[in-house]
Amino acid sequence: MNESELTSAWTALEPTPRQRRRIDARVRGWIEARDSSLAAEWLGLLKFNPVTGLGFAALAGCLVLLATPLGWVTFSIL
Amino acid sequence: MIDAAAMRFARLDEWTLASLFKALASRFGGDAASLDEDAILRLVEAARAGDRTAGQRLYRQYVDRVFRTMRGILRSEVDAEEVTQDAMLAVLTSLDRYTPRAGTRFAAWVMTISVNTARRRFRRRRPENTDPAELQRIPDDATDLERDADSQRTSAALLRALAELDERDREIVSLRYGSDLDATEIARALALEPANVRKILERTRVRLGARIELLLNPNGATT
Repeated sequence: MNESELTSAWTALEPTPRQRRRIDARVRGWIEARDSSLAAEWLGLLKFNPVTGLGFAALAGCLVLLATPLGWVTFSIL
Repeated sequence: MIDAAAMRFARLDEWTLASLFKALASRFGGDAASLDEDAILRLVEAARAGDRTAGQRLYRQYVDRVFRTMRGILRSEVDAEEVTQDAMLAVLTSLDRYTPRAGTRFAAWVMTISVNTARRRFRRRRPENTDPAELQRIPDDATDLERDADSQRTSAALLRALAELDERDREIVSLRYGSDLDATEIARALALEPANVRKILERTRVRLGARIELLLNPNGATT
């Protein structure tokens, strides 16, 4: 057998259509899952939750007033 | 007149079928025509920039090649399928790390990733203990019913002949004939000396060819 005959023999080892469909589906699934998880991460950073967000803002405001001279002056005036 | 109409209809029918098959092949990711290295590098650049179609085209260029190479190296269809999936995923998600090197094609990078994927996967579980008699049964499995008889015979003979080689020689011939890499590219992929690869290729080609011919024609008739 020469080089081209051996190369041709190797084509007999190609995946069957069914195997190829399985490989395609799994790779596509992984790529899509990876893309969507990255997108979800980015969207999560941008997401605004009004109830939790306002609660945290109020808590942060109280902490600033209690823990800094600005708060002590405000309380002494009141 | 009827003949002319029938011929026109037959031609139209042929064209319609050809278009239909082309569309189906495209829909199900049929193998794309082989592209030259410049076109491949343009696809790599486009895929790196986020072009998903370019990524899909690269995948179609290499998936069958990776599978048949891995099928030659590994001793089971299932292992070859799993390594192909992992390797193609690694290729598509690592394109940013690819740096073109003089004298080495993109295919060599793809195959290096594939061989490393197979080695990592079987570092503990070497697929070395398969009984050669089992290889003869492989084409009769339900998964292979779609292959035609000639292809099954060639595949069975090739797999039996490969099973008689040691692991390193199997890797070298599979990269040569399954992926069309040259001796220098194979040497880089397997961290061997190119001269050594050439010597092994020459010796193994003769041995493998003779064995396959004997398996395909046990009575000595030439093909």
